[in-house]
Amino acid sequence: MNALDIQNLSRVYKGKKGREVQALSGLNLTIGQGEVFGFLGPNGAGKSTTIKTVTGQIRPTEGMAYVFGTPVAEASGRMRIGYLPENPSFYDFMTAREYLLLVGRTFRMPEDRIAAETVRVLNLLELEEAADRPMRGYSKGMVQRLGLAQALLHDPDLYILDEPMSGLDPLGRALVKRVIKELKEKGKTVFFSTHIINDVEVICDRLGVINKGRLLAVDSVANVLERGAEGYLIQISHHGTTTEEVFIPKDRLKAFMAEMVASDASIERIEPMRKDLEEFFLGLVRGGDDAARQ
Amino acid sequence: MTAIANLLYVTLKSALRDRILHAMFGVSLVLLLLVPSLSVFSMRQVQELSITLSLSAVSVALLLLATLLGASSIWRDVERRYTSSILGLPISRGTYVLGKYAGIASVLVASAFLLGVASTLVIALSAGAHPSDMPVRWPNVWTAVVFDTLKYLLLAALAMLFSSLSTSFFLPFFGTISIYLAGSASQDVYEYITGPYGKTLSPVFRWLAHVVYYIIPNFSAFNLKVLAVYGLLLPWNGLLYTFCYFLVYTALVLVICVWIFSRRELP
Repeated sequence: MNALDIQNLSRVYKGKKGREVQALSGLNLTIGQGEVFGFLGPNGAGKSTTIKTVTGQIRPTEGMAYVFGTPVAEASGRMRIGYLPENPSFYDFMTAREYLLLVGRTFRMPEDRIAAETVRVLNLLELEEAADRPMRGYSKGMVQRLGLAQALLHDPDLYILDEPMSGLDPLGRALVKRVIKELKEKGKTVFFSTHIINDVEVICDRLGVINKGRLLAVDSVANVLERGAEGYLIQISHHGTTTEEVFIPKDRLKAFMAEMVASDASIERIEPMRKDLEEFFLGLVRGGDDAARQ
Repeated sequence: MTAIANLLYVTLKSALRDRILHAMFGVSLVLLLLVPSLSVFSMRQVQELSITLSLSAVSVALLLLATLLGASSIWRDVERRYTSSILGLPISRGTYVLGKYAGIASVLVASAFLLGVASTLVIALSAGAHPSDMPVRWPNVWTAVVFDTLKYLLLAALAMLFSSLSTSFFLPFFGTISIYLAGSASQDVYEYITGPYGKTLSPVFRWLAHVVYYIIPNFSAFNLKVLAVYGLLLPWNGLLYTFCYFLVYTALVLVICVWIFSRRELP
């Protein structure tokens, strides 16, 4: 069974003067269990609309989304989801510990497990010192980390994270990346949206690119990186004195290595040259890389 | 039920930590404490005036609480984007509305209980110092507080209804106040136009007045002050009818509120 199954999802908003805005158009996407999936797209591409629809907050105009086979339109379908909204906001008169108690009770966790898990997630997200202060005094980064803490509390099987790195400093971002990697090691499924391409390259198994409500590509990160390989920059030294750098295309590498073995030159360094994810993403969004489309 | 209980707990906690509500509650208690002194000015009707003033103080406090809590409930959560966090949990929008209302209702009932106890004490004090020919009928006083509470529970539901379709404080607040004023006067207006004066009005106007009378809540049915002040016999049949009216009207308002909020686009 798939962790997340999105079938022909469309969403139309009614704009001013009766004008219709197609925020999502026939989105089909399947996320397998244990996958970390990065959902890339520029601002206004439809990432948050997709996430709000699959968490049951927005009713789709057409199509359905299922979480482990349960329609997300039902509140019970969200029992196995840990959800972090974009720029989260929580009842600011409550403390983090009180809010986590509320979340735990909503997921019908036993009281002793809520207490234990609260301590665990607060420590994990480095919020233990602020745990008993009202949230109105929290910084943006602290609220973001609390958002992740409340998503982790009930140890769900699927995590849906809307821009999880938003508003975090480099330390916070590293912490969140570490948390996602640990979830992957535990076999959890993570579906997160971002416009920070480097995050996808470091964390994800697969990625999807969305723009103007349409899914442009879905592929594994490894494939994208491999397909983008263009050649190698090789540093050669002659008799240990002079060095030079040469670019060797991918299909010439074998022959070049044979030539090197036959010569008296030695190879100091080989650096793969490839299009990175950013170029892949920009190519798709600008409509210039048709070959990458599926 | 667990989700409703959780939202009730959040709303209760929010009210308990709200300084404006603390201040309102404090002012109400001060007003009640002033009742024995103010009642003395009535000369021969100290006990009667103490009952009137106490019940009025309770009524004003509950009016402010119901209006502020109900009017600031849903739109504020939407505006501050609390709903995007809370509705991401396994909570339906219907449960959210009902949980919120349960929380507001709990605050109103608890406040009415505390103010009712305070009223009992000040009325007993005034009546003890200046006894009237007629003893205080305590069941009447307490029944008046209970029905006042029902009235404001209904008003809070209406305030939530306005809040569910609004994006600011103005419609919920002024809409609720307007409905309160209209609902408090509707019975008098109805009796006026169905009396001899009504015959001089056009049939269309009378028909419209009838429609409005049946649509807006009839708050005067919940007003038992006169029965409490003069110790008159309580009309139990009428009270049962009023109680049923409260249940049906409140349920209808909440159903419409859930229906509207379930269709509302959230940011």
